[in-house]
Amino acid sequence: MSDEAELPALVRAAQRGDGLAMARLIDGLTPAIGRWCGPIALQDAPDAAQEALIAVFRGLKGLSEPAALFGWARSIAVREAVRVARRSARQRTVELLDLPAPGDPLLAVDIADVLERLSPEHRAVLMLRELEGLDERSIAGLLDVPPGTVKSRLSRARRSFRKEWAR
Amino acid sequence: MTWPIAELDVVRRLHVLAAAVPGAVVGEVLLPAPFDQVWAVAADLEGELPRYLSDVRSMRITRADGEHLEADARGYAGLRAHFDIVLRPGWCVMRSRFLLGAMAAVADGDQTRFAFLAGAQLPGQRLLGPALGVVGRWATPRVAARFGERVALRG
Repeated sequence: MSDEAELPALVRAAQRGDGLAMARLIDGLTPAIGRWCGPIALQDAPDAAQEALIAVFRGLKGLSEPAALFGWARSIAVREAVRVARRSARQRTVELLDLPAPGDPLLAVDIADVLERLSPEHRAVLMLRELEGLDERSIAGLLDVPPGTVKSRLSRARRSFRKEWAR
Repeated sequence: MTWPIAELDVVRRLHVLAAAVPGAVVGEVLLPAPFDQVWAVAADLEGELPRYLSDVRSMRITRADGEHLEADARGYAGLRAHFDIVLRPGWCVMRSRFLLGAMAAVADGDQTRFAFLAGAQLPGQRLLGPALGVVGRWATPRVAARFGERVALRG
Protein backbone atom coordinates (compact mmCIF):
# COMPACT_ATOMS: atom_id res chain seq x y z
CA MET A 1 0.00 0.00 0.00
CA SER A 2 2.00 2.92 -1.22
CA ASP A 3 -0.76 5.47 -0.69
CA GLU A 4 -3.13 5.65 2.27
CA ALA A 5 -5.72 7.20 -0.01
CA GLU A 6 -5.96 4.02 -2.04
CA LEU A 7 -6.64 1.85 1.02
CA PRO A 8 -10.46 1.91 0.76
CA ALA A 9 -10.40 0.87 -2.89
CA LEU A 10 -7.89 -1.85 -2.11
CA VAL A 11 -10.03 -3.19 0.73
CA ARG A 12 -13.13 -3.16 -1.47
CA ALA A 13 -11.30 -5.04 -4.22
CA ALA A 14 -10.04 -7.61 -1.72
CA GLN A 15 -13.57 -7.97 -0.33
CA ARG A 16 -14.70 -8.80 -3.88
CA GLY A 17 -12.11 -11.57 -4.02
CA ASP A 18 -9.39 -9.84 -6.07
CA GLY A 19 -6.28 -11.88 -5.29
CA LEU A 20 -3.84 -9.18 -6.34
CA ALA A 21 -5.53 -6.71 -4.00
CA MET A 22 -5.35 -9.30 -1.22
CA ALA A 23 -1.63 -9.71 -1.86
CA ARG A 24 -1.11 -5.96 -1.65
CA LEU A 25 -3.07 -5.83 1.59
CA ILE A 26 -0.90 -8.63 2.98
CA ASP A 27 2.16 -6.53 2.07
CA GLY A 28 0.67 -3.48 3.75
CA LEU A 29 -0.54 -5.19 6.91
CA THR A 30 2.41 -7.48 7.59
CA PRO A 31 4.75 -4.92 9.24
CA ALA A 32 2.02 -3.78 11.63
CA ILE A 33 0.87 -7.33 12.37
CA GLY A 34 4.49 -8.23 13.14
CA ARG A 35 4.81 -5.26 15.45
CA TRP A 36 1.63 -6.20 17.33
CA CYS A 37 2.26 -9.95 17.54
CA GLY A 38 5.99 -9.87 18.31
CA PRO A 39 5.84 -8.60 21.91
CA ILE A 40 2.88 -10.82 22.78
CA ALA A 41 3.68 -14.14 21.14
CA LEU A 42 7.50 -13.95 21.38
CA GLN A 43 8.92 -17.25 20.06
CA ASP A 44 5.57 -18.06 18.49
CA ALA A 45 5.23 -14.68 16.87
CA PRO A 46 5.54 -15.89 13.24
CA ASP A 47 2.74 -18.42 13.85
CA ALA A 48 0.68 -15.74 15.57
CA ALA A 49 1.24 -13.24 12.77
CA GLN A 50 0.27 -15.80 10.14
CA GLU A 51 -2.87 -16.82 12.01
CA ALA A 52 -3.76 -13.19 12.67
CA LEU A 53 -3.52 -12.33 8.98
CA ILE A 54 -5.62 -15.36 8.06
CA ALA A 55 -8.24 -14.27 10.61
CA VAL A 56 -8.17 -10.75 9.16
CA PHE A 57 -8.83 -12.01 5.64
CA ARG A 58 -11.49 -14.47 6.74
CA GLY A 59 -13.34 -11.61 8.38
CA LEU A 60 -12.62 -8.98 5.76
CA LYS A 61 -16.01 -9.16 4.08
CA GLY A 62 -17.60 -8.08 7.35
CA LEU A 63 -15.53 -4.90 7.56
CA SER A 64 -17.99 -2.17 6.61
CA GLU A 65 -15.60 0.77 6.92
CA PRO A 66 -12.36 0.15 4.97
CA ALA A 67 -10.64 3.13 6.60
CA ALA A 68 -10.92 1.29 9.92
CA LEU A 69 -8.83 -1.61 8.60
CA PHE A 70 -5.78 -1.11 10.79
CA GLY A 71 -7.64 -0.58 14.06
CA TRP A 72 -9.82 -3.58 13.32
CA ALA A 73 -6.81 -5.70 12.34
CA ARG A 74 -5.01 -4.68 15.53
CA SER A 75 -7.75 -6.05 17.74
CA ILE A 76 -7.70 -9.32 15.78
CA ALA A 77 -3.89 -9.53 15.93
CA VAL A 78 -3.81 -8.98 19.69
CA ARG A 79 -6.47 -11.62 20.24
CA GLU A 80 -4.73 -14.13 17.99
CA ALA A 81 -1.32 -13.44 19.52
CA VAL A 82 -2.64 -14.03 23.03
CA ARG A 83 -4.38 -17.20 21.89
CA VAL A 84 -1.31 -18.60 20.14
CA ALA A 85 0.96 -17.70 23.05
CA ARG A 86 -1.33 -19.38 25.54
CA ARG A 87 -1.64 -22.47 23.37
CA SER A 88 2.06 -22.86 22.95
CA ALA A 89 3.78 -25.49 24.99
CA ARG A 90 6.81 -23.30 24.94
CA GLN A 91 5.06 -20.66 26.93
CA ARG A 92 7.27 -19.94 29.91
CA THR A 93 5.22 -17.60 32.01
CA VAL A 94 6.64 -17.70 35.50
CA GLU A 95 4.52 -15.22 37.30
CA LEU A 96 2.80 -11.95 36.76
CA LEU A 97 5.31 -9.19 36.66
CA ASP A 98 4.02 -5.71 36.78
CA LEU A 99 4.36 -3.03 34.23
CA PRO A 100 6.25 0.25 34.09
CA ALA A 101 4.63 3.61 33.64
CA PRO A 102 4.34 4.92 30.08
CA GLY A 103 7.64 6.43 28.99
CA ASP A 104 9.44 4.90 31.96
CA PRO A 105 13.20 5.00 31.27
CA LEU A 106 13.38 1.45 32.48
CA LEU A 107 11.80 0.51 29.20
CA ALA A 108 14.71 1.97 27.28
CA VAL A 109 16.46 -1.37 27.44
CA ASP A 110 16.04 -4.66 25.73
CA ILE A 111 12.72 -5.74 27.17
CA ALA A 112 12.70 -9.24 25.77
CA ASP A 113 13.76 -10.77 29.08
CA VAL A 114 11.04 -8.94 30.94
CA LEU A 115 8.41 -9.89 28.38
CA GLU A 116 9.33 -13.55 28.80
CA ARG A 117 8.15 -13.37 32.39
CA LEU A 118 4.80 -11.82 31.62
CA SER A 119 1.61 -13.62 30.76
CA PRO A 120 0.40 -13.11 27.16
CA GLU A 121 -2.46 -10.93 28.43
CA HIS A 122 -0.04 -8.64 30.23
CA ARG A 123 2.29 -8.50 27.27
CA ALA A 124 -0.74 -7.38 25.27
CA VAL A 125 -1.45 -4.59 27.78
CA LEU A 126 2.17 -3.49 27.73
CA MET A 127 2.36 -3.46 23.93
CA LEU A 128 -0.91 -1.60 23.52
CA ARG A 129 0.10 1.06 25.97
CA GLU A 130 3.80 1.57 25.25
CA LEU A 131 3.95 0.74 21.58
CA GLU A 132 0.51 1.82 20.44
CA GLY A 133 -0.04 4.59 22.97
CA LEU A 134 -3.58 3.54 23.88
CA ASP A 135 -5.12 4.75 27.11
CA GLU A 136 -6.46 2.37 29.71
CA ARG A 137 -10.06 2.69 28.58
CA SER A 138 -9.15 1.84 24.99
CA ILE A 139 -7.06 -1.11 26.12
CA ALA A 140 -9.94 -2.37 28.23
CA GLY A 141 -12.28 -2.10 25.27
CA LEU A 142 -9.91 -3.88 22.95
CA LEU A 143 -9.22 -6.71 25.40
CA ASP A 144 -12.85 -6.84 26.54
CA VAL A 145 -12.10 -6.41 30.25
CA PRO A 146 -13.42 -3.72 32.61
CA PRO A 147 -11.37 -0.46 32.65
CA GLY A 148 -10.94 -0.86 36.40
CA THR A 149 -9.22 -4.19 35.89
CA VAL A 150 -6.69 -2.66 33.51
CA LYS A 151 -6.13 0.27 35.84
CA SER A 152 -5.55 -1.83 38.96
CA ARG A 153 -3.28 -4.22 37.11
CA LEU A 154 -1.17 -1.38 35.80
CA SER A 155 -0.99 0.28 39.18
CA ARG A 156 0.12 -2.87 40.94
CA ALA A 157 2.39 -3.70 38.05
CA ARG A 158 4.54 -0.61 38.28
CA ARG A 159 5.71 -1.44 41.77
CA SER A 160 6.69 -5.01 40.99
CA PHE A 161 8.35 -4.08 37.72
CA ARG A 162 10.57 -1.56 39.41
CA LYS A 163 11.39 -4.08 42.13
CA GLU A 164 12.45 -6.58 39.51
CA TRP A 165 14.81 -4.17 37.81
CA ALA A 166 16.24 -2.99 41.12
CA ARG A 167 17.48 -6.48 42.02
CA MET B 1 13.91 0.13 23.02
CA THR B 2 14.05 -3.20 21.28
CA TRP B 3 10.57 -4.61 21.00
CA PRO B 4 10.39 -8.03 19.40
CA ILE B 5 8.91 -7.93 15.91
CA ALA B 6 7.35 -10.95 14.24
CA GLU B 7 8.82 -11.72 10.84
CA LEU B 8 6.45 -13.23 8.33
CA ASP B 9 8.41 -14.65 5.44
CA VAL B 10 6.96 -14.76 1.95
CA VAL B 11 6.13 -18.47 2.08
CA ARG B 12 3.98 -17.81 5.14
CA ARG B 13 2.43 -14.85 3.31
CA LEU B 14 1.57 -17.14 0.43
CA HIS B 15 -0.22 -19.48 2.82
CA VAL B 16 -2.19 -16.48 4.09
CA LEU B 17 -3.16 -15.66 0.50
CA ALA B 18 -4.19 -19.30 -0.03
CA ALA B 19 -6.43 -19.13 3.04
CA ALA B 20 -7.97 -15.90 1.79
CA VAL B 21 -8.82 -17.11 -1.73
CA PRO B 22 -11.70 -19.59 -1.71
CA GLY B 23 -10.79 -22.84 -3.43
CA ALA B 24 -7.11 -21.97 -3.79
CA VAL B 25 -4.67 -24.85 -4.05
CA VAL B 26 -1.25 -24.47 -2.51
CA GLY B 27 1.87 -26.62 -2.53
CA GLU B 28 5.27 -26.33 -0.87
CA VAL B 29 8.54 -28.12 -1.59
CA LEU B 30 12.09 -27.94 -0.30
CA LEU B 31 14.38 -27.64 -3.30
CA PRO B 32 18.05 -28.68 -3.02
CA ALA B 33 19.31 -25.47 -4.57
CA PRO B 34 20.22 -21.98 -3.34
CA PHE B 35 17.62 -19.23 -3.45
CA ASP B 36 19.19 -17.35 -6.37
CA GLN B 37 19.15 -20.46 -8.53
CA VAL B 38 15.51 -21.17 -7.70
CA TRP B 39 14.35 -17.62 -8.20
CA ALA B 40 16.17 -17.33 -11.51
CA VAL B 41 13.70 -19.93 -12.80
CA ALA B 42 10.63 -18.49 -11.04
CA ALA B 43 11.27 -14.93 -12.19
CA ASP B 44 11.82 -15.92 -15.82
CA LEU B 45 8.13 -15.93 -16.64
CA GLU B 46 8.58 -15.75 -20.42
CA GLY B 47 11.30 -18.37 -20.72
CA GLU B 48 10.60 -20.83 -17.93
CA LEU B 49 6.90 -20.73 -17.03
CA PRO B 50 5.78 -22.50 -20.23
CA ARG B 51 8.39 -25.19 -19.57
CA TYR B 52 7.04 -26.28 -16.19
CA LEU B 53 3.40 -25.32 -16.70
CA SER B 54 2.39 -27.51 -19.60
CA ASP B 55 -0.96 -25.80 -20.24
CA VAL B 56 0.81 -22.58 -21.13
CA ARG B 57 2.26 -22.35 -24.63
CA SER B 58 3.73 -18.88 -24.27
CA MET B 59 3.98 -16.00 -21.83
CA ARG B 60 4.90 -12.57 -23.13
CA ILE B 61 5.61 -9.57 -20.91
CA THR B 62 3.86 -6.57 -22.46
CA ARG B 63 4.61 -3.93 -19.83
CA ALA B 64 7.04 -3.52 -16.96
CA ASP B 65 7.01 -0.76 -14.37
CA GLY B 66 9.21 -1.63 -11.43
CA GLU B 67 7.76 -4.70 -9.76
CA HIS B 68 4.48 -4.32 -11.66
CA LEU B 69 4.26 -6.27 -14.90
CA GLU B 70 1.61 -7.15 -17.43
CA ALA B 71 1.73 -10.23 -19.59
CA ASP B 72 -0.26 -12.10 -22.20
CA ALA B 73 -0.44 -15.86 -21.85
CA ARG B 74 -1.51 -18.32 -24.51
CA GLY B 75 -2.50 -21.91 -23.88
CA TYR B 76 -2.62 -24.96 -26.11
CA ALA B 77 -6.39 -25.21 -25.85
CA GLY B 78 -6.90 -21.73 -27.27
CA LEU B 79 -6.78 -20.12 -23.85
CA ARG B 80 -5.68 -16.51 -23.85
CA ALA B 81 -5.31 -14.46 -20.75
CA HIS B 82 -3.96 -11.07 -19.78
CA PHE B 83 -2.16 -11.05 -16.43
CA ASP B 84 -1.39 -8.26 -13.99
CA ILE B 85 1.70 -9.29 -12.09
CA VAL B 86 3.68 -8.25 -9.04
CA LEU B 87 7.20 -9.69 -9.25
CA ARG B 88 10.04 -9.12 -6.83
CA PRO B 89 12.75 -11.38 -5.36
CA GLY B 90 11.02 -14.26 -3.60
CA TRP B 91 7.49 -13.17 -4.43
CA CYS B 92 5.30 -13.31 -7.53
CA VAL B 93 1.54 -12.90 -7.82
CA MET B 94 -0.23 -13.16 -11.18
CA ARG B 95 -3.88 -12.34 -11.68
CA SER B 96 -5.98 -12.58 -14.81
CA ARG B 97 -9.71 -12.13 -15.13
CA PHE B 98 -10.25 -15.75 -14.18
CA LEU B 99 -7.06 -17.03 -12.59
CA LEU B 100 -4.74 -16.30 -9.72
CA GLY B 101 -1.24 -17.75 -9.49
CA ALA B 102 1.50 -17.04 -6.99
CA MET B 103 4.99 -18.22 -6.10
CA ALA B 104 7.16 -17.56 -3.06
CA ALA B 105 10.64 -18.67 -2.10
CA VAL B 106 12.86 -18.29 0.96
CA ALA B 107 16.35 -19.57 1.65
CA ASP B 108 16.49 -22.46 4.11
CA GLY B 109 20.17 -23.06 4.80
CA ASP B 110 21.69 -23.89 1.42
CA GLN B 111 18.30 -25.10 0.19
CA THR B 112 15.15 -23.18 -0.73
CA ARG B 113 11.57 -23.49 0.42
CA PHE B 114 9.37 -22.87 -2.59
CA ALA B 115 5.59 -22.51 -2.43
CA PHE B 116 3.10 -22.08 -5.23
CA LEU B 117 -0.59 -21.26 -5.34
CA ALA B 118 -3.38 -21.52 -7.87
CA GLY B 119 -6.88 -20.18 -7.50
CA ALA B 120 -9.83 -18.90 -9.45
CA GLN B 121 -10.88 -15.28 -9.76
CA LEU B 122 -14.55 -15.71 -10.46
CA PRO B 123 -17.84 -15.00 -8.80
CA GLY B 124 -18.85 -18.26 -7.17
CA GLN B 125 -15.25 -19.39 -7.38
CA ARG B 126 -15.64 -21.72 -4.43
CA LEU B 127 -17.91 -23.87 -6.59
CA LEU B 128 -16.23 -23.33 -9.90
CA GLY B 129 -12.65 -23.59 -8.69
CA PRO B 130 -12.38 -27.37 -8.68
CA ALA B 131 -13.89 -27.52 -12.16
CA LEU B 132 -11.17 -25.34 -13.59
CA GLY B 133 -8.61 -28.04 -14.15
CA VAL B 134 -5.96 -25.69 -15.39
CA VAL B 135 -6.02 -23.91 -12.06
CA GLY B 136 -5.58 -27.02 -9.99
CA ARG B 137 -2.78 -28.26 -12.18
CA TRP B 138 -0.72 -25.20 -11.30
CA ALA B 139 -0.15 -26.55 -7.84
CA THR B 140 0.36 -30.26 -8.30
CA PRO B 141 3.44 -32.28 -7.35
CA ARG B 142 4.03 -32.91 -11.06
CA VAL B 143 4.40 -29.18 -11.75
CA ALA B 144 6.62 -28.87 -8.70
CA ALA B 145 8.78 -31.71 -10.01
CA ARG B 146 9.09 -30.06 -13.42
CA PHE B 147 9.94 -26.77 -11.75
CA GLY B 148 12.61 -28.57 -9.70
CA GLU B 149 14.06 -30.05 -12.88
CA ARG B 150 14.32 -26.58 -14.43
CA VAL B 151 16.09 -25.35 -11.30
CA ALA B 152 18.54 -28.26 -11.42
CA LEU B 153 19.43 -27.43 -15.02
CA ARG B 154 20.65 -24.03 -13.88
CA GLY B 155 22.97 -25.55 -11.28
